[in-house]
Amino acid sequence: MAALCSEFGDLVQIKKQLISVISLCKERGLVHSVKWASELAFSLDPLPKNELPPPTFFTEEDAQDLDALGLAKSYFDLKEYDRAAYFLRGCCSQKAYFLYMYSRYLSGEKKKDDETVDSLGPLEKGQVRNEALRELRVELSKKHSAGELDGFALYLYGVVLRKLDLLKEAVDVFVEATHALPLHWGAWLELCNLVTNIEMLKSLSLPDCWIRDFFMAHMYTELQMIKEALQKYQSLIEAGFSKSTYIMSQIAVAYHNIRDIDQALALFNELREQDPFRVENMDTFSNLLYVRSMKPELSYLAHNLVEIDKYRVETCCVIGNYYSLRSQHEKAALYFQRALKLNPRCLGAWTLMGHEYMEMKNTSAAIQAYRHAIEVNKRDYRAWYGLGQTYEILKMPFYCLYYYRKAHQLRPNDSRMLVALGESYEKLSQHVEAKKCYWRAYSVGDVERMALLKLAKLHEQLNESDDAAQCYIIYIQDIFSCGEQLEHAEVSTALRYLGQYYFKNKLYDEASLCAQRCCDYNDAREEGKALLRQISQVRDQTESSTTDLFGPLSSNNTPIRRVSPLDLSSFTP
Amino acid sequence: MASVHESLYFNPMMTNGVVHANVFGIKDWVTPYKISVLALLYEMTTSKPIALQERRRLNKLILPLQQGPDLTLDQFLKTVEECCPQTAYAVKLRLHEMADGELKDMEYFFATLPTPFSAIDSEAYKTSVVGLFMRHMLLAYNKLSFSQVYKLYKALQQYYHSHYSQPGDVQVGLPALAADDSDMDLTSTEDNVGERMEKEELDTAPLHESELSRGPLSQKQAEYFLARQAYLLKNDENKALKPSALQDELNNMLKFNPDFAEAHYLSYLNSMRVQDIFISTHSLLHYFDRLILSGSEGKSNGDEGYGRSLRYAALNLAALHCRFGHYQQADLALQEAIRIAQESNDHVCLQHCLSWLYTLEQMKGSDSSVLTEDSVKMAAHFCLPYLVSLGIQSLVQQGAVQGKTAHELMDALKDTDILHWKHSLSELIDISLAQTTSIWRMYGKSTMAQQQAQLLLNMNSLEQVNFGVQQNNTEAFAVALCHLAELHAEQGLYGAVSEVLKHLKEQFPPHTQHAKLWMLCDLKIQFDRAMNDGKYHLAEPHVTAIAALNKTEGLYRKAQVLKALNRTTEAYSILQRLQLYCEKTKYTEMIIRVMLVTAELHWESSGFATALPLLLQALALARQHHLQALASETILHLAFTQLMLGVPEQALGVLHEAMEPILAHGAVMDKGRALLLAARCQMAMAGTRSNGQKHAALGLAVQSLGEAAAYFSMLDCKERLRDVHYLQARLHHTLGQTPQRNKCAMLFRLLDQELQAPGAAVAILSFIQIL
Repeated sequence: MAALCSEFGDLVQIKKQLISVISLCKERGLVHSVKWASELAFSLDPLPKNELPPPTFFTEEDAQDLDALGLAKSYFDLKEYDRAAYFLRGCCSQKAYFLYMYSRYLSGEKKKDDETVDSLGPLEKGQVRNEALRELRVELSKKHSAGELDGFALYLYGVVLRKLDLLKEAVDVFVEATHALPLHWGAWLELCNLVTNIEMLKSLSLPDCWIRDFFMAHMYTELQMIKEALQKYQSLIEAGFSKSTYIMSQIAVAYHNIRDIDQALALFNELREQDPFRVENMDTFSNLLYVRSMKPELSYLAHNLVEIDKYRVETCCVIGNYYSLRSQHEKAALYFQRALKLNPRCLGAWTLMGHEYMEMKNTSAAIQAYRHAIEVNKRDYRAWYGLGQTYEILKMPFYCLYYYRKAHQLRPNDSRMLVALGESYEKLSQHVEAKKCYWRAYSVGDVERMALLKLAKLHEQLNESDDAAQCYIIYIQDIFSCGEQLEHAEVSTALRYLGQYYFKNKLYDEASLCAQRCCDYNDAREEGKALLRQISQVRDQTESSTTDLFGPLSSNNTPIRRVSPLDLSSFTP
Repeated sequence: MASVHESLYFNPMMTNGVVHANVFGIKDWVTPYKISVLALLYEMTTSKPIALQERRRLNKLILPLQQGPDLTLDQFLKTVEECCPQTAYAVKLRLHEMADGELKDMEYFFATLPTPFSAIDSEAYKTSVVGLFMRHMLLAYNKLSFSQVYKLYKALQQYYHSHYSQPGDVQVGLPALAADDSDMDLTSTEDNVGERMEKEELDTAPLHESELSRGPLSQKQAEYFLARQAYLLKNDENKALKPSALQDELNNMLKFNPDFAEAHYLSYLNSMRVQDIFISTHSLLHYFDRLILSGSEGKSNGDEGYGRSLRYAALNLAALHCRFGHYQQADLALQEAIRIAQESNDHVCLQHCLSWLYTLEQMKGSDSSVLTEDSVKMAAHFCLPYLVSLGIQSLVQQGAVQGKTAHELMDALKDTDILHWKHSLSELIDISLAQTTSIWRMYGKSTMAQQQAQLLLNMNSLEQVNFGVQQNNTEAFAVALCHLAELHAEQGLYGAVSEVLKHLKEQFPPHTQHAKLWMLCDLKIQFDRAMNDGKYHLAEPHVTAIAALNKTEGLYRKAQVLKALNRTTEAYSILQRLQLYCEKTKYTEMIIRVMLVTAELHWESSGFATALPLLLQALALARQHHLQALASETILHLAFTQLMLGVPEQALGVLHEAMEPILAHGAVMDKGRALLLAARCQMAMAGTRSNGQKHAALGLAVQSLGEAAAYFSMLDCKERLRDVHYLQARLHHTLGQTPQRNKCAMLFRLLDQELQAPGAAVAILSFIQIL
């Protein structure tokens, strides 16, 4: 961490670097990198006048190409890529060369998009290709082997390779690009999309630069290693980037991923204060609001976003969530469809649409939506889970096992999948597996706090009273220690069972304690009282022998894991 | 919902929230290759009369060209050239006109195509195959937008010019294969579309693999490809693409059209071939996920498709687990399928479930005849002939094992045969024949078994796709061929056996599903040979291999080897275990065989009296189950025991009873053994008689011995041959026929030297001295 601090110590230097890279990217039409760098630069203190970097000097070549470049850039900005490329073809400076190749690439992409709309046949739609890619690759690879490519051109080469599905080569080229020009965020971002696991990440040799920490943090978030990501971002904030909206949004997303809703909400609210016209990541924000059922906030967000830009994927998702929360599922599905129309590879929308169809009981459409989500990203655990739920609703517990298992594989520590698996196993009368699942769900940290209750009930069904009592005790402790009031908490059921259990085992003190607690709940009051009466009766009869019985029973019959029942007194509901 | 949806956002390709590729029902579209085919058709319909032979060849070409995947121009022209060079030239010219001209040339070409609606007399009439194809093409062409037409023209130009730019780029394999084609065409006079297509498939298959950037298939082409491959997978796996190649094809197809769900199903079948549970489960579930939504639109035969596919999804999952031997999983999946089917009153599905249920029970090894009977009754009630006869066949199998009388079984099979022929269920006909073969074989009627096997092997296939092809590679054929191999081995025709096995190896390569059958058969034959030759060290390694394929059989063979190696105690304990196990599983044949081997063990310790009750028990069992071959063998054992107990008259009497069936149906080995035994009995009896009678009796014995020697020499069974020669020599000596005696003695000496193991001979020597 010390190295990090020293590296970030010179914020002024970093700011200078950012300013220079902004102008470089701007000249080349790399708008997204410009945006990222500018946001970061904005979060740092402004430089005094004498510290501002001097305007870039011109080389001989640059001077030669100046006019052509100016003309081409203006065409480029107007999206007349072919025209831009035409006027740049004779230029020899690096800048002009990049713009030349980049225009050709973009022209190909644009044509591809146009073609997709009217391809010859429906089956051909997957086949439409950017025709320019191959030529670009040939030319770039020639220059690459001659070592004539600068950082930007390397980045372009990498992009071309990635589009041609030559992923391995692409990774190498992107790494090279980051070495040649570490400050270009676009190259890092592309690399981020290509790295699939932590081993691969470790094997890359990356340049030693402050921007690398941003990359690592981003990577950790992508790989669901939230703890590490949060740590990284925290150290970045400490190093002086505390005002950066980018970091703030990333942290919020990370909290969202580990379902720390309060933290995430707080961060998003702060983010909206600082950057009220931001659309990015707002779909994540709306998810959080949805989970918390914060209708007014969600409504406000939705209306606000519509005013900003209603044709954005994020806006559509927010509106979808809004309608879904209002139980207008048809409209919600419609907006998710619209989001997909804007970007068919938008994963979240497919899954959310699946949820909406589930709500509408349109299982077949839901299945298809989930399947699409899986096609976009095979690692989308929510889609697998959704498929499982769909089949569970269709009363096919064995069939849904496969899907739940898939989801569980992707999120081994998520209790919801485990509980779902357990329920399916229970329906199939596979009690051993079901018990394992429930216990594991509890062990990994049960979000809904249902696993133990289900486990206890299962034990109860199987007449394993010791285990059942054990589970109920832990359940009660769990419920009270978490502090919040849960709607579906069945403390009374647990207490009732425990009371009976202690009574049967002749542990009258504990039984009466449970019975008294029972009386706090409406649904168990009568039984509690009845139990108390029974206890006092039995006590009267066997006043003398209680102490004799109590000794051996508590030492032999009670399970080892059992917590002393007297601990109950410390819980105040 | 729909109205809201349309008003807000209209997209014709989107229904129910999901983009459908085929909302316009476009199944085919125009490609440069299709234009070439059109040009060919055009030439064929309009041009001057072509020679009859060439015309016929071209006609045969039409269907594969229309249905097959797109070819390059080189391949296309070459194929056409093989049939008719003159037409090929005309087609090329026409394409040249278009490609080197302007867009209007192409437009003109489409305008001048004979419209199927006007030309009533020509082949291009609207309902003909050609006419339909032309209509499809015209329709697809007319639907193209301006930019699409231009794009098509560009593609055509490229297609045509790529033909000239790289003339050396043609696949090398094509000329050879194509030449092969023309040969076939010249020689064959019958119209045989099936075979022609076969060839086509073979021709084009290697081409696909070599070409990386192959275009996508149109829906028609894809459907044809899938149907063809699925059929081949089921009936003739060797002709289908290799598993990896097929998977590549499917992945390619799915890349271009992820909505083409049937490809997932084929992928499931394909991964079943290589026993890959991961991919097969994945593909199966994916298929049904897709099917469920296409079913929801009510397309699937009006049979309330959605819930229907759910039931069959669960059922298929059960089948999958069954195939992989996960019985518990299969059971759960099956229960689920049954429950859903019950809830929705789908009797047909329930029936399928029931037939799987009894199959599962059978696979688990429990008795399921009651279930099967129920299944047959219900299936008959719901008119599902396939399931009915499948059930009956299953019942027959169970009945045969449990000792139902032969006429009942044969009656049942005859009834199913009527059903099969009525509904032309060719697959079941095959199975039924194979089953008859097995049953005859079990009863020990080798001639009948052989006849049935030959009947199956020589029968022409009834299936339309493979019409006229004689053999498929289904399980039925594997079974019949294995029986044939074993029957030949029994008769000592080892050359024929190796021929049959070679054929089996070709038809069912070792990685395929039914390969285990012939592997076991091969091992058994080799084992028996080694045992007959007395080469026990050779037999021993086979035991391990057999045990890997079939545990019971392996144990039995192990006991046999141990007995031969005089490790009596071990052999005995194994036999005991085996007998218990077989009694539990009701494997009667094995029980009898085990009893026989146990009796032989008793002989070794001279416990002839103890062997008797065992043999009688075995005989009763064999008679009860009508196992004639085993019964005769038991009688042989019985006779020998009696002979050793000193009652040769009895022995001979018993032996006569078995002699006839053995000589009629038995293996050569058994025939030899029976005759040898008879001779020994005759000798033993002769000892008790007066001189004159003695001579006659001994003469008889010599005769029997001669026959036995002939049988044994057929099998090259030297040990027994040696014994026979010894006995012959002794007899001739007693009869005073010195030259014959000397000859036999010499033969004995030669064999004895060769065998170098005088132990056995000494035993017999002492035995004969006693006589």
